[in-house]
Amino acid sequence: MRRKAGLVLLALAVFFAALSPLLRWYAFPRLAKVPPNQYQDMVLEAKGATLLDYGTMQARKVSKVTIVQTLKGNVEASKKVERTAGRDVVVWDGLSYVQGPDGKTVSEIPERYIFDAHSQEPVHATGEMVDGDPVRRDGIEFKWPFLTEKRDYEYFDAQARATSPIRYQGTQNFRGLTVYYFEQTVPWTKVPFPKSLPVEGITPESVAKTGTTRWYTTVRKFWVEPVTGAPVYGEEIHKEELRGGTLLGGRDRVTAFAGHVKMREDYIEHTVSLVKQNRTVVLLLTSYLPWGFLSLGILLLVLSLYLEARDRRPGRSAPANAAEPEPVSA
Amino acid sequence: MRALIAAATGLAVALALVLAITAMGLPDGRTSPKPLLTTVPAHP
Repeated sequence: MRRKAGLVLLALAVFFAALSPLLRWYAFPRLAKVPPNQYQDMVLEAKGATLLDYGTMQARKVSKVTIVQTLKGNVEASKKVERTAGRDVVVWDGLSYVQGPDGKTVSEIPERYIFDAHSQEPVHATGEMVDGDPVRRDGIEFKWPFLTEKRDYEYFDAQARATSPIRYQGTQNFRGLTVYYFEQTVPWTKVPFPKSLPVEGITPESVAKTGTTRWYTTVRKFWVEPVTGAPVYGEEIHKEELRGGTLLGGRDRVTAFAGHVKMREDYIEHTVSLVKQNRTVVLLLTSYLPWGFLSLGILLLVLSLYLEARDRRPGRSAPANAAEPEPVSA
Repeated sequence: MRALIAAATGLAVALALVLAITAMGLPDGRTSPKPLLTTVPAHP
């Protein structure tokens, strides 16, 4: 009976010991993925910003500019791309909606971002776009990969439609979470006008005829929780100018927007709480369960060896009621 | 010999379990009916 128990314990020991690396290096890379049906919104604000009044073509100080960013996973589109890409793909349809202090629309920029659900590497397929313009992303956008590393990443800038490095600048603590701080500076770059402009009758084509061009620079800052790869906080020091042409009435340049954009407080709290939950799930697969199973496996192995050793100890294996040897007489 | 069979059984069950879980994967779900926002939400 004891021998049987020892064998069962040995089988369980091998089971748990094997489960440990299998979970970490086989199951985790296959199970950890961004769900294709994710929906999330984010509100950012630039208080005391400068905004161009397209009616007078004068820049003015405003109390607040609000940016609402929505990302919506398109499950049907992701299945379609998966058929040709041969891997798990996420298609995010996004909208950056900018609203002035009077509640009127300043701009609306839609985009479609297609990426690998596991690694977050961009996937190139028809439909990848920013504001209707086909683009090719060569870097990440919005989210870092699971188990983010302390290194620079390539990050796609939707305004410039270009990819450039976003630099790892150190590890910090953000509201109780260890985060990696990344920063990207986009120098003054000529960028297209949004397709939807805040004044009726003015289109990007009609502006182009005046010779006026749109320029932009930004310092983009992200605080990324490295286990999930999710940014828990973001800021942008963003400036836009219109330059040259007849639209500016002889002026060389005019500020279209200037502001320090920050996440709204309630959204920071919500994001931190969500990331803390998701972090626990990822850690379960990468750390808690593998180490727990390995420890359990070792414990069971020791126990099974102990039972086996006890079983083989001289005197213990002999039957308790063995008959006394008969005296031998000469 | 019995010990070897017990160890092999443990290993095979672990392999089968992990392969089954990863093969099942996670459900894709459906595209959210919620719109892309053009208003400022009051809260998350």
